[in-house]
Amino acid sequence: MFLKTVLQELRHSQRILIRGLSTKPSWDIITGVCVERLPVVTPPLNAMQKKYKEMLYTIEVENSLKSDHELRHDNDKIKAELLKNESADIDLDVVSKITAQDFEDAAAEEFANFKFADLVTEADKTGNKASIERCLQRHLVLVTSLKLGKDTKTILPQGKWQEGETLRQTAERILSEHCGSDLKVQFLSNAPCGFYKYKYPSEIEGKIGAKVFFYYANYKSGGVSEKVKANWLTRTELIETLPDKYRKSVEEFLINEPY
Amino acid sequence: MFNWSVLKQLSRLSICAAAKAQVNTRLISTNTTLQFKMTEPLCAEPLKKKKKMDPAIIKAREDRRRKKLEKQIRRLQKNARQLKSIDEMEVPLHILDEMGKRKRPPVKLSSEVMEARALLQKEWTQYKREEYMNSVAQIDRIMAAQRRALDKLYEESEELYDEAIMPDLSLIPYSVRGPVATPPIKDYASPDGEFIDVSKKWDN
Repeated sequence: MFLKTVLQELRHSQRILIRGLSTKPSWDIITGVCVERLPVVTPPLNAMQKKYKEMLYTIEVENSLKSDHELRHDNDKIKAELLKNESADIDLDVVSKITAQDFEDAAAEEFANFKFADLVTEADKTGNKASIERCLQRHLVLVTSLKLGKDTKTILPQGKWQEGETLRQTAERILSEHCGSDLKVQFLSNAPCGFYKYKYPSEIEGKIGAKVFFYYANYKSGGVSEKVKANWLTRTELIETLPDKYRKSVEEFLINEPY
Repeated sequence: MFNWSVLKQLSRLSICAAAKAQVNTRLISTNTTLQFKMTEPLCAEPLKKKKKMDPAIIKAREDRRRKKLEKQIRRLQKNARQLKSIDEMEVPLHILDEMGKRKRPPVKLSSEVMEARALLQKEWTQYKREEYMNSVAQIDRIMAAQRRALDKLYEESEELYDEAIMPDLSLIPYSVRGPVATPPIKDYASPDGEFIDVSKKWDN
């Protein structure tokens, strides 16, 4: 306990020391926003999960009691037997009823006729990365192309922090500036989730570089305004598009895709 | 004679009575005067005499009332301990009756199947353990990334750091939906399933 408090004190004093030593903030403070669309559809089961699910299902059936439908099916069978033998005087009314088998067939037909929405959406077919209706089983991250200095880069939307704002407010402002106010997201914290630092090729207004604080948000509704060149990328596409070092900082705070 | 006496009466009411012998003739009526007085109007009923009650009876009445309340409270407390039954949790009687019919023939598993199942169970636990370790590592990684970001923010500006570590109260309550098993169909009107309408009709 004592040791812990001492350690905390040490850490605190170290921080103060660092703050004291560093002369004037010579870095730009920049907020980046990582908007992620969570998977809409559950990812497919892998081989192990499939096998285990199958086993659980058979055990479940073994331990279960017969359902109403199964009882009805059994009754129908007995009645059919009797009818074949013509041994007993059977009420024709009872026999001519819909049997359980008929019901099952009708249900199967209805099921076959029902058209589920396609997992591969229109955007997947055309390879449209700007649409949010793509790769329904995967996490998608919003990236935009930004002009940094001379060259344009494809990175998470970002912008400079302004005096008088909290970083969270900056993040919200930047997102609406970049993507339009139609895009609704849910920020998950007041605290940044990741950090990235880069130096400018030459000093700009006395700043030697930028410190980027990432904020994480989940996509809720709406879309990015069409004027902006924005893409929703899967994890593998992120690896391909983001600059190398930048990518590492972003990957630090994203969860791994299970498949 | 008569009028004179009336005059006398009235003259008492006038302010400068005695001095004036001459009386205004207009005050003299020719009718017969009523020789009775009206009682003063009372604006309230006279108080009833309070009935005196036997203190013993009052006490008995009080006691009876208290006992009645206590009894009610006791009854409520007794019922409070009894839990209300949940219909859905009870096995319906007709199923209990058909138990014999509903039992499946017992399955005899070969030793190979048993072995395979046990093996699969073991494999599954290993798989789940690995998955768990992975997610713990992931959580650690994400938390470390946030810690680093916050530390760097502290170096940059203490005010921003203080703002950043404030809890976000707008997140409570938080709800999230999905993922689902099949992709949603746009503008799909889901049909009603089979149901029994139990809503009561109140019109005649």
